[in-house]
Amino acid sequence: MVASPGRFILRVAAWLPLAFLLWYIAAPLLAWPVALLTTAVAKIGFSSIVDGVEQQGRMLTIVSTLKSTLASTQNAASGVLSVDLNPGLYSFGFPMLVALTLAARQPHMLRTLLLGYVVLTPFVSWGLVAEFLKRIAFDAGPTVASQAGFTPAQREAIAFAYQFGTLILPAAAPAVFWVLTHRRFLAEFANRGAETLGGQ
Amino acid sequence: MVRFFLKFLLVQAVLFGLELTPWAQAWFVRPWTDALAAISADIVRWFDPQVIAHGNVLRSSRNGFAVAIEAGCNGVEATIVLIAAVLAFPAPWRRKLVGLAVGILAVQGLNIVRVISLFYLGQWNFDAFEFAHRYVWQALIMLDVLIVWLLWVRTLPPGAALAPA
Repeated sequence: MVASPGRFILRVAAWLPLAFLLWYIAAPLLAWPVALLTTAVAKIGFSSIVDGVEQQGRMLTIVSTLKSTLASTQNAASGVLSVDLNPGLYSFGFPMLVALTLAARQPHMLRTLLLGYVVLTPFVSWGLVAEFLKRIAFDAGPTVASQAGFTPAQREAIAFAYQFGTLILPAAAPAVFWVLTHRRFLAEFANRGAETLGGQ
Repeated sequence: MVRFFLKFLLVQAVLFGLELTPWAQAWFVRPWTDALAAISADIVRWFDPQVIAHGNVLRSSRNGFAVAIEAGCNGVEATIVLIAAVLAFPAPWRRKLVGLAVGILAVQGLNIVRVISLFYLGQWNFDAFEFAHRYVWQALIMLDVLIVWLLWVRTLPPGAALAPA
């Protein structure tokens, strides 16, 4: 039996604070698979500029191979550049997915949520790697950017990947996943509305 | 469903790509963001006359606290997702236009609530502001988009609804 819109929205609103609380408390644990995937992506895709990925609690640090200043006749080169990143900025949609899934009360909720976490993790890694590249290409200054050697086309691609990975994916991906995994619920929800309107 | 999903992704990618062009930024995104700050200030001045807007900034002349409405906080991306979802869904054009008009109003209306609530949350507690700004409101705006879309789909005649899995 599908809930009325008002009841469904109330259920979502009731689950959301709890989902956010649990997500925030479990952030170091949830960030661990993200760190593994981000390490793999960064090491395989950007091996020339990435030395490794480290996790400290809920935060990740991508350690680059790039020097933050170059050696000169007066100064030795300083240490390598590390970029601190917050996976929470790219995974805040997960509590929304939890609230929506629990509010819809469809069978196999736990399985849906586990699958959701697996499906959404690459999008979180996307955001983290794109932010790392954006910081190297645009924020860290010409000394670092020149070592990375990005072409203009690559800089454009980094800018787009960062914007899309920041502004669209973190919120839209969980919503799309929920729609795709709740088609029966949506069909009943929609048809019930149509029947109600048709009967007026 | 697959057709809807692919159309949704395509429309969303095209609109987002357009949004990032200098032309769209200059003629639509920045003016809209400035207007959002001005509208928020107009509403706030009903109960707090010491609030001013200049450009995309909402500022309290009482304590100097200010928030700048940046990309991601102007509701443009959420609106793009809503437009893509409505346009991609099989429905008569008239219904789509009504859905877009009402939906955009609902999304931007809640976004004004976001801006104003963050403005006061930041004056009360910066940690709470950061949490709400970075995580909670982002999710709430997308929930708004999803719920508006669900309600719109519910108003469509039988047969237009999503086929069950």
